[in-house]
Amino acid sequence: MRLQGIAAFALATAISTGCASAGGADLSVFDWSGYEDPGFFASYMAKYGNEAPSYSYFGSQEEAFTKLMSGFTADLAHPCSDAVRKWVAADLIKPLDESKLTNWADMLPEIREVDGIVLDGKLYMLPFEWGNTGLIYRTDKIAADAVSLQLLADPAYAGKIAIPDAASSAYALASLATGNGADYTNLSDEQFKEASDFLRAIHPNMRFYWSDAGQLDQAMTSGEIEMGWAWNQSELNLIWNEVPAAMMRDVDKGIATWVCGYVHLKSSTTPDEQVYDLLNALTDPVSGQYIIDNWGYPHSNAKAFEMADQANIEAYGFSDPKSFFEGSLFFDAVTPELEAKMLAEFERIKAGF
Amino acid sequence: MFKPRSEAARGYALSSPATAYVGFLVAAPLVILITYSFWTQTYVTLDKTPTLGNYRAALSDPLVHHLMLRSIWIAGAVTLATVVLAYPIAYFIAMKARRKTIWLLLITIPFWSSYLLRVFAWKLILGFNGVMNSALLGLGLIDEPLDFLLYNEFAVVLTLAHAWAPFAILPIYVSLQKIDPSLLEAATDLGNSPLQRFLRVTLPLTVPGIIAASLIIFVPTVGDYVTPALVGGSDGKMIANLIQVQFGAANNWPLGATLSLLAMMSVGFVAIVFVIAGRGLGGRIR
Repeated sequence: MRLQGIAAFALATAISTGCASAGGADLSVFDWSGYEDPGFFASYMAKYGNEAPSYSYFGSQEEAFTKLMSGFTADLAHPCSDAVRKWVAADLIKPLDESKLTNWADMLPEIREVDGIVLDGKLYMLPFEWGNTGLIYRTDKIAADAVSLQLLADPAYAGKIAIPDAASSAYALASLATGNGADYTNLSDEQFKEASDFLRAIHPNMRFYWSDAGQLDQAMTSGEIEMGWAWNQSELNLIWNEVPAAMMRDVDKGIATWVCGYVHLKSSTTPDEQVYDLLNALTDPVSGQYIIDNWGYPHSNAKAFEMADQANIEAYGFSDPKSFFEGSLFFDAVTPELEAKMLAEFERIKAGF
Repeated sequence: MFKPRSEAARGYALSSPATAYVGFLVAAPLVILITYSFWTQTYVTLDKTPTLGNYRAALSDPLVHHLMLRSIWIAGAVTLATVVLAYPIAYFIAMKARRKTIWLLLITIPFWSSYLLRVFAWKLILGFNGVMNSALLGLGLIDEPLDFLLYNEFAVVLTLAHAWAPFAILPIYVSLQKIDPSLLEAATDLGNSPLQRFLRVTLPLTVPGIIAASLIIFVPTVGDYVTPALVGGSDGKMIANLIQVQFGAANNWPLGATLSLLAMMSVGFVAIVFVIAGRGLGGRIR
């Protein structure tokens, strides 16, 4: 046994030194924590001597933006489509070369054209994972045909609801609830007022504005709240904990979709070849299957959906990606003036003004 | 002639590390903050033309007034609650306890865990299915969980009062410890009851300790943002939460800098008034 172990070790060392043209860890990635999961980039590991890229983390896109603006450097970063326009405007990222992206042809056709991934005809973000932001409700307390976004304003649910402490997400909800979801990124003054009025109307019912998803998950589990505007990750946690809860996945009643992916930072110093090796590993169908089956997140590669466990896809609610891409509100960058207005107004609404 | 100069030189040498530290880590950031407060941010561009626009906008905004007053109110309530609860403990340790070191050590035990952990511990205690509600439900005193325990100003005051307790106990303990026992004996000999003795001798002599404790608690509490963010719910937000939004999501550092400076000025003003009033009160009791 021992000899075998030593032999295996020697072999592994020989293979790794033989293949490694550069150290895998030379590549630095600025990411959300958790995405350093080696299952996401197995083919990169295989090529670079079983060495993973170096990861550093951010807790929110705003934090990432602030850090990058003050001089933090990395090769790749992982924002979502709504932030890309601002990052481009701040001259932080450079366009990607489609011809070097080996899995580009296999991406979900709709995801390739999402605004914010492509800006002014240039590809800035390679989509990796996506999902929904929607209304999660306790199925034992509220019937599926009775639930709606407007129910959040019902005085019967005083102290029983929660929404994120984030202006963009709150206004996405409000735009959908007031029938202006399609104009979310460019609301007129009147539409903006309707959305603000909706948020004011639901404020008295608010138990809290959640800042971390765990807070919402626990409150849903205990029954402290019965409805919450949240990510599909929360729905997964509730499913896995056997809480009777579901996300209202009806595009006509209102649901939003987000896409996140990798961008190539201008401060990148690692050779492009290695950068694209990681990008190609991340979008590999095997990585996609891994994230679907183990994380419950839908991936950007269409082939991954064929390889993954169909029961999982059904249970996690994305058996029909096309419906979300066509019928739901997309988290694209809102115009800068509107974004500033949303932030200022949301602070007022939260303070009861 | 030679000796005083050398003493002065030694004094400067001894204080220079602290001076450099304060210079780099307090004065320099403060200068940056003041500079930023006169600039303007639009989307990703920073306009460096000096302007008072941020101050005008902040001072005329009812939201800023509201959050500032609430922060001062909450900090005041926290200070009062902490000092009132800490005084008897400090009194016990200074006057009655036999193993003072052990008692002081015990008091600092909560500080061995992270501040954030203590805030989360209060969430577990006050939560919807938390310790308190489970106990009350189990005892049959209530039919459904109380929801006014968490996510309001009360929860913020309670959490902070617990977190700050040692900071109040220690200065008050020191000032109690310094009281000459012969003064208390003299008061008894002159016919004072224990209550009179406390009010006329002990309390006035500990006013410096009370003032120190109050300032140590009040000043950082006004600027606290983690506690209100975690247990404050929808009506427990404070000025620091608004400042954090400016430096984060809103990406408007100039306005954030202005709000920070205004908060510092308000805190400074309240603290000075408090110190003057405290001194006056201490003198009057005597």
